[in-house]
Amino acid sequence: MKKRNLAVLLLWAVLTGAAWLLPARELSQAERRPLAQMPAISGQTILNGKFMTGFEKYSLDQFPLRDGFRTIKSLFHFYGLHQLDNNGIYLAKGYAVKQEYPANADSVAHALERFTHLYEKYLQDSRVSMAIVPDKGYYLQDGHLRMDYDRFYADFAQELPWAQQIDLRECLSLEDYYRTDIHWRQEKLAKAAAALCQGLGVGAFDPEEFTVTALERPFYGVYYGQAALPMEPETMYLLENAVIQACRVYDYESGKENPVYDLGKLTGRDLYEVFLSGSRSLLTIENPNSRTDRELILFRDSFGSAMAPLLLADYAKITLVDLRYIPIDRLDRFLDFHGQDVLLLYSIPVLNNSQTIK
Amino acid sequence: MLFSSIPFLYYFLPMVLMVYFLAPRKAKNTVLLVSSLIFYGWGEPKLLFLMVFTIVLFYFCGLAIGARPSARWKKAWLLVSVVISLALLGIFKYADFFIGSFNTLTGLSIPLLRLTLPVGISFYTFQSLSYTIDVYRGSVPPQKNLLSFGAYVSMFPQLIAGPIVRYADIDRELEERTHSWEGFSLGMGRFLVGLGKKVILADNFALLMKLFRESDEKSVLFYWLYAVAFTLNIYFDFSGYSDMAIGLGRMFGFHFPENFNYPYLSKSITEFWRRWHMTLGSWFRDYVYIPMGGNRVRRGRWVWNILTVWMLTGLWHGAAWNFVLWGLFFGIFLMMEKWVPGLQKLPNALRHGYVMLAVIFSFVLFNANSLSQAAGDMAGMLGLGGLPLISAPAVYYLKSYGLLFLMGILGATPLVKTLARKAADTKAAWVLEPLVLAALLLVCTAYLVDGSFSPFLYFRF
Repeated sequence: MKKRNLAVLLLWAVLTGAAWLLPARELSQAERRPLAQMPAISGQTILNGKFMTGFEKYSLDQFPLRDGFRTIKSLFHFYGLHQLDNNGIYLAKGYAVKQEYPANADSVAHALERFTHLYEKYLQDSRVSMAIVPDKGYYLQDGHLRMDYDRFYADFAQELPWAQQIDLRECLSLEDYYRTDIHWRQEKLAKAAAALCQGLGVGAFDPEEFTVTALERPFYGVYYGQAALPMEPETMYLLENAVIQACRVYDYESGKENPVYDLGKLTGRDLYEVFLSGSRSLLTIENPNSRTDRELILFRDSFGSAMAPLLLADYAKITLVDLRYIPIDRLDRFLDFHGQDVLLLYSIPVLNNSQTIK
Repeated sequence: MLFSSIPFLYYFLPMVLMVYFLAPRKAKNTVLLVSSLIFYGWGEPKLLFLMVFTIVLFYFCGLAIGARPSARWKKAWLLVSVVISLALLGIFKYADFFIGSFNTLTGLSIPLLRLTLPVGISFYTFQSLSYTIDVYRGSVPPQKNLLSFGAYVSMFPQLIAGPIVRYADIDRELEERTHSWEGFSLGMGRFLVGLGKKVILADNFALLMKLFRESDEKSVLFYWLYAVAFTLNIYFDFSGYSDMAIGLGRMFGFHFPENFNYPYLSKSITEFWRRWHMTLGSWFRDYVYIPMGGNRVRRGRWVWNILTVWMLTGLWHGAAWNFVLWGLFFGIFLMMEKWVPGLQKLPNALRHGYVMLAVIFSFVLFNANSLSQAAGDMAGMLGLGGLPLISAPAVYYLKSYGLLFLMGILGATPLVKTLARKAADTKAAWVLEPLVLAALLLVCTAYLVDGSFSPFLYFRF
């Protein structure tokens, strides 16, 4: 053999040995998902091909140093091939950003149709506001593909004339988002919360009423896993005060009561689930210390989880509805619509991929 | 199973290599046969019977022809192998195409068969046909050992995407081949280079093509990016697979024929087809074109021979009209080059430019899902229909893929090979060669683990 290539064969053999011998792992922390396990082998699973398909998934998921290899791919893709994005994610100013491009006309149309249906069925007696949360890409002008944001906002303003539009674009900046995650940082939402309070016609938002608490566990956002790049973890902060601490959150799915900040999620897959226990279809927050007896129904995605606690001061009750997990036509089984304030708070990534809104 | 997959690279291949090299010499072909059947059955367990049937059919037909019966019986046995194998190919690959075309023509609605296309059927059918035809012609003796013959027909390195290895190419090596560490090392290197072509170049170009198809903001530039991307994609996909096949063959002691010789350097379409998919071109030349009379016939008959061969070449690539037209497109260019005086005297740059334009347009036709899509793509490239010259996504992807295009264009020339040969005898090669090969292994593995995974284009043939 050309002895100089012996090292390559050895490397191949070592990786093969590791793939065969290392025990299977249950979860990928970076990707926040369970990993495929060795499929059952039988005559039937071989004949119908299920064993082969399952084994292919298993071998990919359980490959030794999987996260390291994904990092090698990302580094080679960005720095070896000089590609501007990796699976639609790019790095700019230290932020991992998902390229939200182009504006998906079908998705916008679907969202508009669903919201119109929602309004016609339940909300005609309510004062309805809508706020669209821009994605990080809105604040970057660095040669990556940008959707036509003005047109995107204008479409919703024109097609939903019954909703007062609260424009959050000037209230936020790139620094108000996590570097490794899709979401905004709660401790940076003062301007956005003030704009929403003003739009909803409740008392002015006062950041002085809150204390900032840092969580000890480092936060690795969703893009940390997807980008597979060596990024530093971040610190997550919570805005707390006595009003929030006194509130109880009722979860219609589990029938249980939880605090606004669910510290039980500190050890979970996604630290962001600390806010209102993560993705839940229907929640109510009862506020015994509200300055008024007003109620708010907040139709929202996950961005709403960090914002809702900041709107509590003047609401005795906030109902949070995630239309991705509960169909509009079933809402009247659980909720009584009687002219409450209504806010549609949706992020661009959800509105631009809205087929999940039921 | 794909060569560019984790199950192949880290489970199947290492296991087969271990068993193969531990097995005694006499059992090596059996190891190859069994492992090839597992390899084939992995993706198509229910169609394994077709492979086994093909092996048995051609084995017995070869024996019958080689038993020196009368000329009539020899021909009869040859016809049995040809008719049955082509009938199977016709049923599995072309039946729905013909039924669909017939329905369109007549307005009838004869139901389609909707059979699963057995992977690699065009390759192994043509390889098997070369065997019985060569035995009939007396150029090779029949193979008496069913296991060895089965190993030839089903041999996994070249089973599903070529090169088309004729029985005569490896009949001696089936009986007696040398296994050397030198050959193994060369084969491993060739395999890893092919893997890199497929995973790093071809698959990334495929991603750009997908982004193009999904985009609503087409422009002339975007159409050209797509067309050039596919031209590079198909070359690196197919030549990468051929490299892997040849490399694997070498690891097991076989010398498979070359399939590509820098086709994009060609200065005529005739030259292009001497450099592109060489084993298919020579197969059609030796088993179809020359038996039809080749060019030693009247001009009218010659035209007929050329058009027939190129229509069949197109049809071999796929059961759709765009493939037929693709073949005829080249047939017409080849005739033009033979009969239009002065073409060969044009400056090299012009001739090369003409070949690349023809090839790029031909691949746009090749890759279209329908004739109307092909027409739309070509119209887009020509800027018809009021299309803008550039669009934001086109500019973005040109920037993003600029280096990859450069790598692809340079990689399609002998530059890298020339540099590697020059460096081969230097001391630096002791470090550089294993470093490059190890990097290829790691980077390709990284791409596969990350899930950038797309099937070989030539699987459908």
